Amino acid sequence: MTTVLEVSGLTLDFRQDGRNLRVLDGVSFRVEAGRTLAIVGESGCGKSVTSLAVMGLLPGTARVGGAIRLGGRELTALSAEERRKLRGGEMAMIFQEPMTSLNPAFTAGEQVAEALRLHQGLDQGAAFAEAVRMLDRVRIPDAARRARQYPHQLSGGMRQRVMIAMALACRPRLLIADEPTTALDVTVQAQILSLLDEMKRETGTAVILVTHDLGVVADHADEVAVMYAGRIAEQAAAATLFASPEHPYTAGLLGAAPGEGARGERLASIEGTVPDLRNPPPGCRFAPRCPFAIVHCHNEAPPLAEVAPGHVSACWRAPLDGVLAAA
Amino acid sequence: MSALLEAEGLVKRFPVRDALGRRAGAVHAVDGVSLSVAQGEVLGIVGESGCGKSTLGRLLLNLITPDAGTVRFSGDDLTRLSASALRARRRDMQLIFQDPFASLDPRMTVEQAVAEPLRLHRIVPRAQERDRVAELLSRVGLRPELARRWPHEFSGGQRQRIAIARALASQPKLIIGDEPVSALDVSVQAQVVNLLSDLIRDLGLTFVLISHDLGVVRHVADRVAVMYLGRIVEQGPAEDVLSAPKHPYTRALLAAVPGHGAKAPPIEGDVPSPIAPPPGCRFHTRCPFAVERCRTDQPALGDGLHRVACHLADSLPPPATRPDRLAGGERLRRLQSFFRAPGPLPGAPA
Repeated sequence: MTTVLEVSGLTLDFRQDGRNLRVLDGVSFRVEAGRTLAIVGESGCGKSVTSLAVMGLLPGTARVGGAIRLGGRELTALSAEERRKLRGGEMAMIFQEPMTSLNPAFTAGEQVAEALRLHQGLDQGAAFAEAVRMLDRVRIPDAARRARQYPHQLSGGMRQRVMIAMALACRPRLLIADEPTTALDVTVQAQILSLLDEMKRETGTAVILVTHDLGVVADHADEVAVMYAGRIAEQAAAATLFASPEHPYTAGLLGAAPGEGARGERLASIEGTVPDLRNPPPGCRFAPRCPFAIVHCHNEAPPLAEVAPGHVSACWRAPLDGVLAAA
Repeated sequence: MSALLEAEGLVKRFPVRDALGRRAGAVHAVDGVSLSVAQGEVLGIVGESGCGKSTLGRLLLNLITPDAGTVRFSGDDLTRLSASALRARRRDMQLIFQDPFASLDPRMTVEQAVAEPLRLHRIVPRAQERDRVAELLSRVGLRPELARRWPHEFSGGQRQRIAIARALASQPKLIIGDEPVSALDVSVQAQVVNLLSDLIRDLGLTFVLISHDLGVVRHVADRVAVMYLGRIVEQGPAEDVLSAPKHPYTRALLAAVPGHGAKAPPIEGDVPSPIAPPPGCRFHTRCPFAVERCRTDQPALGDGLHRVACHLADSLPPPATRPDRLAGGERLRRLQSFFRAPGPLPGAPA
């Protein structure tokens, strides 16, 4: 397998009210060609800023540390102009709300064609013809006609298909999809996610799927990184993570999603709220909400350690079988 | 069981105007919906955006007037009550909205927000107001000391608890929750779902839960009505509808819930425009089983405990099995048992 993206020790700091705010604190992961890594977590855990850091889309006030390598090339060393050239070409991103990422003044076809002109040097006519072909590939019915329509004339699902066509037009090595279906209805969500899977298989693009929805992760990810308060709590192959999580936060999160469980049975609820990043707890950031926390957890942050081959957890009490045996 | 709430043939259309303000058709938001909710029952209304579920919720409370049909609440036809009689009735029925950031007045402290309905409906004498507010706040898992604070000092989950306390203040018989947990993060959502289940059980509330989230509905509802383009397509006991769905749309909806890796490809296309809904069965344009009759004849919902509006309901192949990839095993269940607190959780300080 070829590693497309390797992120190591990623940190992100903002100045806020004269104080330093550490939003990401040592995030590391890699994504292989043709595979999907899901980054999952609740609001404020840092999953979206991680993808913006990789894309180089953070505002100038953000200070990024650590390494981001795309196909062996260190992105943090590149100039703003060099990074701009990568976006839409070697790496592309789709967002939650396609209406705000599409330009209302241009037709769907023109917007897909623009990427092809800029990155592949096609002339206007060839680019538009290729754009229509891309729209057809993302299964927009009657693509030639739809290519001449403006975003407001398309449904939400259709707009997200246009975004996918735009993102994949130049065959990027890396595609980041940040909550790509959160604004869509569930039947349309299923269509879009299976389209993304199919496109990934065809093109061998590495995909980072940023989501809060564990169900989406279970169906569409190969690898999963669970984030909590700016750090990775646990990372493993998707099947492993769902069958035997080794971080208490992952277990709690899985129990909090109402699923097929018996009616009326209480959902697992993680007491309290996420920590304030202006004043994070000194030890493990989940410790204040963790039913398994011991004194050590409150004092020292646990490193991300291997509990099984390919399965890492940042928990002093992992592997959790020991905790259960003692209970 | 007697029906506390009974709706008959509800129709609501919203006129659509063109750029010049001329009438250009109407959105058929709710188109002939009948349902009843028994005292103490939880009815889940599910469907995707634009199916009319929120409009139905407002019709049930008579917050908007139907174009046709009636709503009976403990025997009174709400559409025929005088304004003052309706106002008095309001005390018995409350609405909880999706967005707790928009539903609380930012210029009212928590105490003022919760006390307002107490005063409006003269629930307790002034002197007891403060005590009652404290009682309501602890009832929803918030520390009474937080009463003097302002809404902006609270997180989304805490604000939704405040909105629930406010809804409970007038001691309603019926609460309609319109996507009450949809804006919350999953761990917080679980806290609020647990709270709602406790309140429904302990106070014997009648609850109508409007939601697009089948997991949440499965968790709390006794009965479920599935809506598509303004009509109920399937209705019955929650377990029957969600485990043995009969309508092709309900099946598609369930198959699309992530985490179940449905083998069948998702249904194609988007929901048609409610301005010009298709003739016959409204789902026929996306239905994999549709036959000629479905394009012309509108199917009736039928009778019985488990009702379905589909010409082919009895001849469809059994629905595909749905693996639950989030279920985990015994070990995971044991880990999760440590997260299950026995009662409503105390609210963390803002």
